Amino acid sequence: MASSPAAVGRPARSKPGIVRKLIWLAIAGGAAAIYWHAWNDIGGSITDLFSSIGNLWDLIRRSTPPNTAIFHESVNASITTLDTALIGTTIGLVLSLLITPFAARNLSPHRLVYEAARVVIAFTRTIPSFIFALYMVVVVGLGPYPVALALAIHSVGTLGKLFAETIEDMDMGPVNALRAAGASRMQVFLHAVLPGVAPSFVSLSLYRFDVNVRDSLAAGFVGGAGIGFLLFNSIQLFQYKDAAMELTVMLVLLLAVERISTLLRARIV
Amino acid sequence: MEPAASPALSVRELRKAFTREQPVLQGVDIDVFPGELVAVLGANGSGKSTLLRCAIRLIEPDSGRITLAGRDIASASGSDLRELRRQAAMVFQQIHLVQRRTALENVAYGALGRIGGWRSLSYRAFPPDVIETAWRSLERVGLAHKAWQRADTLSGGQAQRVAVARALCQQAQVILADEPVSSLDPRAAEDVLSLLADIARSDGLAVACVLHQPDLARRYADRIIGIAAGEVVFERTPATIQDSEVAHLYLGELDG
Repeated sequence: MASSPAAVGRPARSKPGIVRKLIWLAIAGGAAAIYWHAWNDIGGSITDLFSSIGNLWDLIRRSTPPNTAIFHESVNASITTLDTALIGTTIGLVLSLLITPFAARNLSPHRLVYEAARVVIAFTRTIPSFIFALYMVVVVGLGPYPVALALAIHSVGTLGKLFAETIEDMDMGPVNALRAAGASRMQVFLHAVLPGVAPSFVSLSLYRFDVNVRDSLAAGFVGGAGIGFLLFNSIQLFQYKDAAMELTVMLVLLLAVERISTLLRARIV
Repeated sequence: MEPAASPALSVRELRKAFTREQPVLQGVDIDVFPGELVAVLGANGSGKSTLLRCAIRLIEPDSGRITLAGRDIASASGSDLRELRRQAAMVFQQIHLVQRRTALENVAYGALGRIGGWRSLSYRAFPPDVIETAWRSLERVGLAHKAWQRADTLSGGQAQRVAVARALCQQAQVILADEPVSSLDPRAAEDVLSLLADIARSDGLAVACVLHQPDLARRYADRIIGIAAGEVVFERTPATIQDSEVAHLYLGELDG
């Protein structure tokens, strides 16, 4: 007998082999169709890439050596970029701390309040900061300020979401203990919730600052501020040696911020 | 101190059901007088913890009369309820200290219910008399020397004594302890229970304590109440309680 007694009760798979193969074939075919459409949509062409390799070589030749005369200007603009990220992150941090208690399911006083807070967070998080920057330029004019405001708005969403999730995962014991002692919502938040989540909040904020420095570059293109704006202009005016200097300073800045942020976060958690 | 004439906490006909088929409390009557420690024994799921939580309406009872510090808590609402709740302090099995704060700060948090306005926003702004009460509460449990140590550096027994100090700092008339020694080693369990018994006798507080250790209940309680299936099945002094009565409490668990 081929089948052992134990195999008698083993059920067959609900779909026969041929059906499962057809399903996989359909999925693979569908994926291929989507990629074919996408590649054509962007005008992708491998031959173009190879035939224009000369342009790339020309670009590199015109970019070297970087123009050291604009070193100081680049450093100053980089500091503006950092300042923009600092102010933007800080405003965003304060605002997200105000909204967080309402956006955490376990603290929110009412379901409607929770949903409303979540809508604010989803809206500000989904729209990229440079879009907010475009609008803020209309409101307060060109410069680093609208960029900082844009970063602040976007940070409300990103930080608010992460903060709320941290609170939802926290140990509710001390919260319940203080509630039982007659503490108000505000008191419970300040004395039981914040001490528990503070290390995570600091770490998340540092990471957000790190991301915001990069966002501040991109938003600088549209806002007209910082090293991002200088770089954008240099490329537009074909000043590739200037662009190379600016790019170098920017790269050092980004790597330094990322490294410091990582080191600080490693010490906190 | 002799038990006073009127109970600090009085519960009559307390009923609570989370599901329709299985009521947790089916008409419980208990009294806790100032100056005594009452131990509540019972198997898991017998309704002991629900009883404590219903007594100050952290869980809403379905029906029953509850008098706390001479006032009706069952019908209180809003700020009246919060005000009344402050008359009963809870001590938890899992202790529930704020881990990243000092022992002294944790004790002072017990007074949050009576500190109003901006002074309650930061420990540094707490009124001096609250800080003084916190120090005295910490001295009362013998841990003044640990005042500046963070809660997460204390041993289990020390942490639970700090939690008792927090309850004292609340200046309540009743302490409700829900299995306060279940997560402690035997030595620390003795420390915490003798402390609770002493607080009842010397300071005149009414202490109700849910326990899983009948021998501890016999040594430290003034009265022992047995609960099974949501009903009081006996109420004895340690001298009159029978081994068979205690054993019977836990029999139900075997077929549960």
